[in-house]
Amino acid sequence: MTGRRWRLFAGIASAAAVFCAGIVLGLPFSSRAQQPEKPAAAAAAPADSNYVGAETCKVCHPEQFSKFSKTRMGRLFLLQARSPKEANACETCHGPGKAHVDAGGGKGKGGLITFAKNDKTPVEKRNAVCLDCHAKGARVFWQGSAHESRDVACTNCHKIMEQVSPKAQLAKETEIETCGTCHLQKRAQTMRSSHMPLREGKITCTSCHNPHGTVTQTLLKEQGVNETCYTCHTEKRGPFLWTHPPVQESCVNCHDPHGSNWEKLLKAAKPRLCQQCHAPGGGHPGNMYGRGDTASLKFVMGHQCTNCHALIHGSNHPSGKFFKR
Amino acid sequence: MKPTRTTPCFVSALSVSALLVLGAAGSVPAQTQFGGVNVEGSVEAGVRGYLTDDPKNKERGKFEEYRDMSAGPMLQQLQLKFFTPDGGYTGEILGSKWGREDQEFSLRAGRTGLWQFQFDWDQLPHLFSTTSRTLLHEVSRGVWVAPVIGSLSDFNGQATSRELHDVSVRWDTARLRFTLTPTPDLELNAQYTRIRKEGDRPFGMSFGSPGNNFLELLEPIEQTVHDFRLGGTLAREKWQLQFGYTLSVFRNDLSSVRFDNPCFQAPVGGSVAFGCSAGESPTATSNVVPKTGQSSLPPDNMAHTFNIAGSVSLPRRTRIAGSLTYSLALQNADFLPHTINPSIAANPDLALPQKSLNGNVQTFNLNVQVTSRPLPLPLTLSAKYRMYDLQDNSDQISFPGSIDSDRPAAGIVVPAGVTVAKRLSFTHHNADVDARYQIVQPVATTVGFGWERWNRGSEREVRESDEYFAKAAIDATPFDWLLARLTYKPSFRRDADYSRTVNASNGFLFRKVDEAERDRQRVDLLLQFTPLDTLWVTPMASYRYDDYLRSAFGLLWETSWSAGIDFGWSPFERLSFSAGYVHEVDDRDLKNRGTSFNLSSSVNADWTTNMKDTVDTFHVEGKAALIPDRLDWTFGANYSTSSGTRETRLSSATLPGPPLAVPGLLPKRMPAADDLLVMFTTALRYHFSQSWTASLFYTFEQFRKNDWRTDGLTPFIPQLAGTTGSIWLGNDARNYDAHIAGVTLAYIFK
Repeated sequence: MTGRRWRLFAGIASAAAVFCAGIVLGLPFSSRAQQPEKPAAAAAAPADSNYVGAETCKVCHPEQFSKFSKTRMGRLFLLQARSPKEANACETCHGPGKAHVDAGGGKGKGGLITFAKNDKTPVEKRNAVCLDCHAKGARVFWQGSAHESRDVACTNCHKIMEQVSPKAQLAKETEIETCGTCHLQKRAQTMRSSHMPLREGKITCTSCHNPHGTVTQTLLKEQGVNETCYTCHTEKRGPFLWTHPPVQESCVNCHDPHGSNWEKLLKAAKPRLCQQCHAPGGGHPGNMYGRGDTASLKFVMGHQCTNCHALIHGSNHPSGKFFKR
Repeated sequence: MKPTRTTPCFVSALSVSALLVLGAAGSVPAQTQFGGVNVEGSVEAGVRGYLTDDPKNKERGKFEEYRDMSAGPMLQQLQLKFFTPDGGYTGEILGSKWGREDQEFSLRAGRTGLWQFQFDWDQLPHLFSTTSRTLLHEVSRGVWVAPVIGSLSDFNGQATSRELHDVSVRWDTARLRFTLTPTPDLELNAQYTRIRKEGDRPFGMSFGSPGNNFLELLEPIEQTVHDFRLGGTLAREKWQLQFGYTLSVFRNDLSSVRFDNPCFQAPVGGSVAFGCSAGESPTATSNVVPKTGQSSLPPDNMAHTFNIAGSVSLPRRTRIAGSLTYSLALQNADFLPHTINPSIAANPDLALPQKSLNGNVQTFNLNVQVTSRPLPLPLTLSAKYRMYDLQDNSDQISFPGSIDSDRPAAGIVVPAGVTVAKRLSFTHHNADVDARYQIVQPVATTVGFGWERWNRGSEREVRESDEYFAKAAIDATPFDWLLARLTYKPSFRRDADYSRTVNASNGFLFRKVDEAERDRQRVDLLLQFTPLDTLWVTPMASYRYDDYLRSAFGLLWETSWSAGIDFGWSPFERLSFSAGYVHEVDDRDLKNRGTSFNLSSSVNADWTTNMKDTVDTFHVEGKAALIPDRLDWTFGANYSTSSGTRETRLSSATLPGPPLAVPGLLPKRMPAADDLLVMFTTALRYHFSQSWTASLFYTFEQFRKNDWRTDGLTPFIPQLAGTTGSIWLGNDARNYDAHIAGVTLAYIFK
């Protein structure tokens, strides 16, 4: 490792260490500050007479209670509630249960929100229950987002009462399956011969997208298409001495990141992809015309245009105007 | 280049140890206690092999593109969770594919509701080729030298005989993440990601102006990405505030790659060079020296990104959200010299005016989004505005001369005239408004309008273009069991200053599809039938038509449509089944003018290509409990086939005129390319007890491909009459069949 790289690494590591140390030092105070007097408040009957407490729910719903208690949210609500609201446990989300209990239980009794697909509670109201706690982080732009505006419920994609997926409490085991419920075509694209490692499980839909709403039209996590791609393909960021304008504007001018039947996730086969903008006149090869069959043919074999224009994403070579060097 | 694989003995020992330790430790099937800490976990280990010949080394290119499928023992998965009895503290160790090229691990620890620490390690192999051959040798990283060759036959022999090991790159990603939630409404996070990429990938280098020789070899990949992020969100009932900072650093250990071109050297004992170009005399000095070319590699760069975002709820159920992002990308790597050819390097026109770019690109991204439900009606109004501004403030450098390749010998004229590396900036605006109204309880309609503007500045073909679109959507749930979503979105892009006439000055760069005027029609339909809780059917259809009206050349029109259906059924708790099919078609016409003709007048050389891609994808999955709580059967299959055709024809109805008297000038029909991928897997799982499960699995995979561009591509196309020779690696993604079977033993305690 060179001295410059060591310095960079040391700088980043020091910054991280200082940040973490600050957090850890501040921990006891924060921890105390947020812990309720009685952490396992959920077990006791709450002060509000309309709430019956989780133990009452457990009597009739032991299986759901058992599954929920194994989830992250279940542990938080049932064992480590940080506020009276969280201490209401089941009733934090489903609403006060007294009327339901007084009615003798049963589906649709007592005005509880069930979050079931056929629940009459409007989606907006159902989602508001989740957003009451989950308005932070990735969900700041939920309202007005593509999914919110089409009445997609949080529980369309997430399963709260049990752990079906390893992460994020998804409704299905994987993200591709969850998103693929509606986005059939995108799911199908992952099976194409040219693909990113989605079906191998190395990246997921949320590696690039934030389904909870973003500032971009396609719900990308970063501020645009290129910024998203540059997260991993940083070598294509430049700035380069010689810039290929469509690359600078959007990677998806040429690539379809969800999968393609052409190499390198290209939207069409080379050389025709390039010829959508570039008419290879003036004797330029690649046209399947020219000085003879073999002479022209070789330019459309292998990498086709990028046999020569290998640095098509940008070149920093003083003589790299045509992205060949 | 050759992957270093962990020995099967190590994986075996690891697997057996993990099973024994966990089996012994967890004597009961339920969660257990260890030192006052609750522990639960699972481990799955076994062995995998091939029933028939495994995909031979040359067929692994596609089979193991992003994975390690070697036969032998495997520790497929190991997970341990720890938590204190009161649920206050949790810890988790998770790993899969232990000991393999694509292994991944995760370590998590946290205080419930307060903080969480996570460390991830992920290895991602990307195998490009197992069939590459070259006669060159890499004497140091990125420097490839041609051997001394005695004759043309020797040349052919050497070019095709030396096989390279796997051409691949492996990404090793390490990620540290810490999230702190000191209060329920405040979240702070820090994340550091390091991606190390090592290996090689195929790369081409040209040795002359168009039409001349080129050489394919390997680009050395020795790159590191550092990504450091700090962020936080404060979320109150009425407002939320979010901030973030990202430092992204790219480091490339190498700045250049050098290849010898064996076409340009004299055979031993003779003065005659091979001269892979028949158009030039092999005895010419220009074909003898120099034989080495140099290309640049991606330069070091870095970017700082600052972001602030927030949202606030206002009266009348109105909410405003906005964000502002500023990013500064920097790049100041030293330029390579114009040429490494000593006989022309001293040319004063090739002196560098400055040693680096002072690359500086700043982007501003502003977003404002308003959503309001102002009336006591089911009416939602929303408006959005987005501005993305990219300013390239790098130095605009004028080069007195430049040189197309390192090949020219002394006396070859350096292209005359100043070449300016222009800086290209642009601003992109988007705005749209829409209203959604629930006409009756089950039906909501949305209508909206939008606008998009590109300001690309005077250096581009189109200084300014506007696109307007309309949107109409219906979401209906007339019954509990039916959801229907229909969207229609036409758009129209216009530009005022784009020359639509063909003229010679435009040369071969003259039609930019991303800037051209376009009318677009787009319709999407999704239906979801759920007549039973256990049965669902989801048909979908999508159609898009782009008309590049007034485009004389380039892409003229494009139609994309797809239709599909997904189906799922769980008649009993013991049985579930799902299946799906999607048919996709992409059809487009492209028009151009033949080579060697005057672009403005040779109408008889106009040709049109129709490009049509058709893809069919099926999937099916199922799960059945053959003996409840004892024996399960699962299966899954995917089938994807695609075909791409490119039919080229002369555009003119009549074919008079001198150009077409030359047979070689007739347009050629490029053959179709197609591929097929089949993946089928099935498994029987026998549960000896609640804790122990044995699995027997079988997987079949098949890949077929026909692509004339790479099928049978030989490393060397030598000098032929009227042509030039070029050299490839000869790599090709080969067809394969794989029958894989294996057994695993899993232990779980929860």
